Amino acid sequence: MKTLAPASASLRAPSYDRLAAHLFTLLVIGAWALAATQIPPIALSGPWTTAKALWAFVGDPNQLAHMGYSLMHVGIAIVVSFFVGCALAFLAHYVPVTALMIHGRISPFLNAFSGIGWALLSLLWFGATHLTVIFSISMVLIPFALVNMKEGLASLDRDLVEMGRSFGRSGLKRFTRITIPSLYPFMFATLRISFGVAWKVALTAELIGGGSGFGYLFDLARQDYRTPILFVVILLIIVFVYCADRFLFEPVQRRLQRHYGTA
Amino acid sequence: MAPPDPRKPIADSLPLRQRVLSRVLADGLVVAAVLAWWAMAKALPANILPTPAAVADEVWLLFTDSVYLGHTATSVVRVLFSVTLALLIGGLLAFWPANQPWARGIVHERIKPFLNSFPSIGWAILAVIWFRVSDFTAIFVQVAILIPFTLINISEGLKELDREAIEMARSFTRSRWKVFAKITLPLLMPYIVSALRIAYGVAWKIALVSELFGTGTGIGYLMGEAQQSAKPALLYACCFAIVLIFFAGEKLVLDPLSRRVRR
Repeated sequence: MKTLAPASASLRAPSYDRLAAHLFTLLVIGAWALAATQIPPIALSGPWTTAKALWAFVGDPNQLAHMGYSLMHVGIAIVVSFFVGCALAFLAHYVPVTALMIHGRISPFLNAFSGIGWALLSLLWFGATHLTVIFSISMVLIPFALVNMKEGLASLDRDLVEMGRSFGRSGLKRFTRITIPSLYPFMFATLRISFGVAWKVALTAELIGGGSGFGYLFDLARQDYRTPILFVVILLIIVFVYCADRFLFEPVQRRLQRHYGTA
Repeated sequence: MAPPDPRKPIADSLPLRQRVLSRVLADGLVVAAVLAWWAMAKALPANILPTPAAVADEVWLLFTDSVYLGHTATSVVRVLFSVTLALLIGGLLAFWPANQPWARGIVHERIKPFLNSFPSIGWAILAVIWFRVSDFTAIFVQVAILIPFTLINISEGLKELDREAIEMARSFTRSRWKVFAKITLPLLMPYIVSALRIAYGVAWKIALVSELFGTGTGIGYLMGEAQQSAKPALLYACCFAIVLIFFAGEKLVLDPLSRRVRR
């Protein structure tokens, strides 16, 4: 047994490991189908039942609306937390006296606060509304955005900014033409991380504090043991997150890295 | 104004007057937040916002009262256990393709994206259906949520490993185990610690949902209980207790550990 294969070995045999991956997928689906014949459908919905439930789900505008609500919650929360996180990081960077307040007090506090805590508290404050869901997702995302943008600002190429200054760029121009573009890779990484974390929290928040979205469907399905719906929702989320990561975030991030070098 | 040097602690790079001012701002914010909370609690009904004193009393109980302390301790033990288990399983999964390149696709194209996009509440609800309400359920859910985080970090470390050091070590000894224990593991240590840090954070912030659904013990359970029986002071207290425990773990264990590893 080799302890570590040289990197080139894995590059040389791409079809080999892809084949193994496909076989693995088939194996898992086979095991799933087999398990579904042994285990009562209330505990495990087999591939075929899940596919049928998925078809019914896609044809039902009511259910699709809940999918739309979840997307809306996640989307708005990402935008809000991105702007709040950026604003705090910029403030700490450009007004250094506030750095301790932001990175030494606000950020660790938000970072240590539990997601369920936000969901239950905002339910108390705002009732079962969209605001509750969006608020609790945003509060969980803000520290991620803040820490990421702090890294970005810390790695800013100071020489580049200096050079901009020596070429007589005005403050605002220097900011929009040099600082902001150098931060693109970090901004993008922030969005990518936020997207992944948002989905993890969104359903919890919707289940606890909202009458809409995937999380709400989840709660209904759980209460009357409609296991296929649980499987459909989980499947849809996995497909969403995977596709977004694979076909949107990864290619764009690779391009940004090639273009801007860092991050 | 020149931004502070990110490598130095923030406060050190500022002149004395600004250093004092930054402390005043940071601690002033904390004082102001408590005062604002107190003033708002006077104006709002106690079932929405209890006073800071009432919440502090409950926090004190969470760490002293024998029943509450039992819940607190259960959560701490569960988190520690789950983080350890997730680190082991994530580590094994990360090492698998390093040993056998054909498994790369299975781990990185199938298992990792699957676990990474699986909604955390999905685990919680399915595990309750599968294993009923038990300690095992709570730990299963936490481990399932944490594995992708440890897996990603440790495989990142394996990618960056200094291959030449390992080659050289291998030319000195034929014992694979010795190379692993003396060279690979120490080189990986920073990544293992950062995996530990992330898993620890996610465990307290997100994975606590397992206790809300999967058990009759722990802080997560207490939070759900507090919400249902309308004891807002206890709910707030749970949130702050989590912040305190999180800080304690970070300052007492994780920070010293990363300092040792970096040296």
